Amino acid sequence: MSKYVIEFSKTGTICYTSHLDVMRMFKRAFKRAGIALSYSQGFNPHPKMGFAQPLSLGYEAEEEFIEFETPDDREPAELLEALRITMPEGIDLKKCERQRKERKTLSSMTCAAIYEAVIPLHGKKCDVDGQIGSYLAQDRIVTLKKQKKKKELKEVDIKPMIRQITGAVADDELVLEMLMDQGSTSNLSPELILSTFMTFAGIDTDRSEVRVKRKKILFTEDPFQ
Amino acid sequence: MKIDKKLDKILKRVEKPARYIGGEVNSVVKDPTEVSVRMGFCFPDTYEIGMSYTGMQVLYNVLNKNPQIACERAFAPAPDMEELMRQEGMELFTLETFTPLRQMDVVGFTLQYEMSFTNILNMLDLAGLEVRREEREETDPVIVAGGPCAFNPEPLADFIDMFLVGDGEELLEQVLLLKQEASSKAEYLAKCGKLDGVYVPSFYDVSYNEDGTVRAYEKLVPDAPDRVRRAVLQDLDKAEFPTANIVPFIDAVHDRSVVETFRGCTRGCRFCQAGMIYRPVRERKKDTILDIAMKQLKNTGHEELSLLSLSTSDHSEFEDMATELMGLCKAQNVALSLPSLRLDSFSFKVLDEIQGYRKSGLTFAPEAGTQRLRDIINKNITEDDIYSAVEQAIELGWETIKLYFMDGLPGETFEDLDGIADIAKKIRDINYDIRGRKGGRFRITVSVSNFVPKPHTPFQWAPQDRPESFIKKHDHLREKLRMKGVTFNYHETKTSTLEAIIARGDRKVGSLIEKAWRMGCKFDAWTEYHAPELWEKAMEETGVTAEFYAYRERSYEEILPWEIIDPLIDRRFLERENEKAKQAMVTPDCRQGCAGCGMNKHVKCFYGVEEGRFPVNTGKEAAHE
Ligand code: SF4
Repeated sequence: MSKYVIEFSKTGTICYTSHLDVMRMFKRAFKRAGIALSYSQGFNPHPKMGFAQPLSLGYEAEEEFIEFETPDDREPAELLEALRITMPEGIDLKKCERQRKERKTLSSMTCAAIYEAVIPLHGKKCDVDGQIGSYLAQDRIVTLKKQKKKKELKEVDIKPMIRQITGAVADDELVLEMLMDQGSTSNLSPELILSTFMTFAGIDTDRSEVRVKRKKILFTEDPFQ
Repeated sequence: MKIDKKLDKILKRVEKPARYIGGEVNSVVKDPTEVSVRMGFCFPDTYEIGMSYTGMQVLYNVLNKNPQIACERAFAPAPDMEELMRQEGMELFTLETFTPLRQMDVVGFTLQYEMSFTNILNMLDLAGLEVRREEREETDPVIVAGGPCAFNPEPLADFIDMFLVGDGEELLEQVLLLKQEASSKAEYLAKCGKLDGVYVPSFYDVSYNEDGTVRAYEKLVPDAPDRVRRAVLQDLDKAEFPTANIVPFIDAVHDRSVVETFRGCTRGCRFCQAGMIYRPVRERKKDTILDIAMKQLKNTGHEELSLLSLSTSDHSEFEDMATELMGLCKAQNVALSLPSLRLDSFSFKVLDEIQGYRKSGLTFAPEAGTQRLRDIINKNITEDDIYSAVEQAIELGWETIKLYFMDGLPGETFEDLDGIADIAKKIRDINYDIRGRKGGRFRITVSVSNFVPKPHTPFQWAPQDRPESFIKKHDHLREKLRMKGVTFNYHETKTSTLEAIIARGDRKVGSLIEKAWRMGCKFDAWTEYHAPELWEKAMEETGVTAEFYAYRERSYEEILPWEIIDPLIDRRFLERENEKAKQAMVTPDCRQGCAGCGMNKHVKCFYGVEEGRFPVNTGKEAAHE
């Protein structure tokens, strides 16, 4: 039994597949590549495989992580090659490494993530630094958030979960880089920053024109160790 | 694949955008400059439904294997997508290269069910094409259509340039290759029209009698055939079958590996169109099937394998095949699903093993509630068969039994409906006997669908029940089936009437379809979109009546519009079967002797030519004869 982590990116049209789609896609890719996954015990055994953090539908990503366990022991480079040739366009596998058997799951180590949003301005002027400064200077940043179970909307203050925002304007587009809590202890969706910030800064670009990308996931420990 | 900004913006606003992005594993993207003909293969329903049809994967594979052909796919965009595409002025495109369909050489539609016909017109329109063939330009793609509904092409004859009737895997490729040899559309149609299986509607003019029935088909082109013979693939075992199916990203209705084990059926149920138009039975050999199955699993990574045919257990090597497949699937952690099994002791052994403790429902399709009516429709299953199977099933731990019936069958009386309730009751009692009065969590589902007479079947002349009658029958059944542990489902009556009108329609029905579509009808197979009021209005405006197309009994003298297609079975056979039905006389399965359908005059038929080549089925199915 061995554990591995693979780093990959997700770019282009494939960003329109959901987290569950990508999960199923990887499961099948393992099968095609002839890599057996270990299964959990119990009535409903499922393969031991997981992502660091789900990625929302429509987002691209530069640095994603998947971990898995196999009953065989194979060289990481060999696994990577076997998988690579069977991946659909848009999923690029970057590296694979062995993981310590006793380590925690990637998802329990995930603590934050950096997202980039590209917002077309359509000629509108925007004092980025000023706007970001005063946005973050608010006492509270309150918005409505869907409750997981009840599906009702509830007021939340997202400010404590925002760690940093920087921005720049180039080619009539505002590029925001946002660092926020993500993971099992505290989790903020970049959509909530986007919508509150755009309202705050008076940017009325339609959401469908905004392109979002996850650039990096931050962990409490090195995922490749 | 890089995507243009306009599409990107639309995709951010629609549900399930992955329906429109292509790029799936095993999809084939070719350089358009390196092929000589490009086809846009269209399924007139959503992606999830279309991708579940094995036929599409079969043709996609055959065509793309040919280096001269590029076959790309398109599906009906869901209403939210359609709205945005129209708003943004975006034409329907193929998933492989995002090329507008209008730029394809040939655009083909697969005709699986009548209620998808409005979607065909809608897709043509979304592609920026005129729906009527006469109004399209020389430079527009040639529009073709095939699939089971092409056996009555007439309702779509005004819209489609050329129909391909019968087995498609050789014919479609031939037709596409002819494209480069023709310098005009007319020449192209003329060339293709010489092939068996190709029906070109513009080669014929149809005249009608005063009562609306067909008077004659007049040929406008001297060498057009009197009747278009369906295309038949002689050797299924040698035919191409995909070993690397496209693996959808999103959940399709069926997303699994599938191998077709045989085509055709020997049973001769009189209501069943598939059982008539796919004759004779042609098998793929067990070893070929196993080989394809293993390659598919390897190339797709699917977690489920299923077999496709009209009746799984009828394959001559079924038991060995099932046993070997079980072993192979188990070793690979793949679920095996075997649909439409004949429930004998072998099948139970198999089902018990592949379903384990997660037993799904067990399905029976007696189709009719009494032996008399089952004899009328030639459905060779007896109540004893069902009860002894149910007994075994309950003992092995099954808790759900699903029963399928039809109502409105020719010769049906209320006694036959009572028979449906009796069967349900008897099954419930068997469960009481075995499991005790509490009966556990045992459930019986009774599904009743409204009979729609289909072309090229012995019931093609039969009148369909009127909606009032269907409703009365449903009410009766609902009363009778008010039993603990029994659920009763039935079909929407208005849809069945419409299906009957279109299924046996002539060219005049085309104007109904167009009118309904112009009024906004589409996705008629979807209860949430189907708009019966609009169809009714369209019927009033076009003068197409259910009276004429659905409720009327046709006479043997009448020229039937779909007889322009020759299914290669004799009309006399259909008449004979219809007469035998009236006397509740059964016709044995082809394996017990050739019933003389005439198929063996045209192609080699195992049972019709060499009797006794295969083990004659002496099972109890025929015991009641
Ligand atoms: S020719 Fe005879 S055996 Fe062959 S399909 Fe027809 S009835 Fe059956």
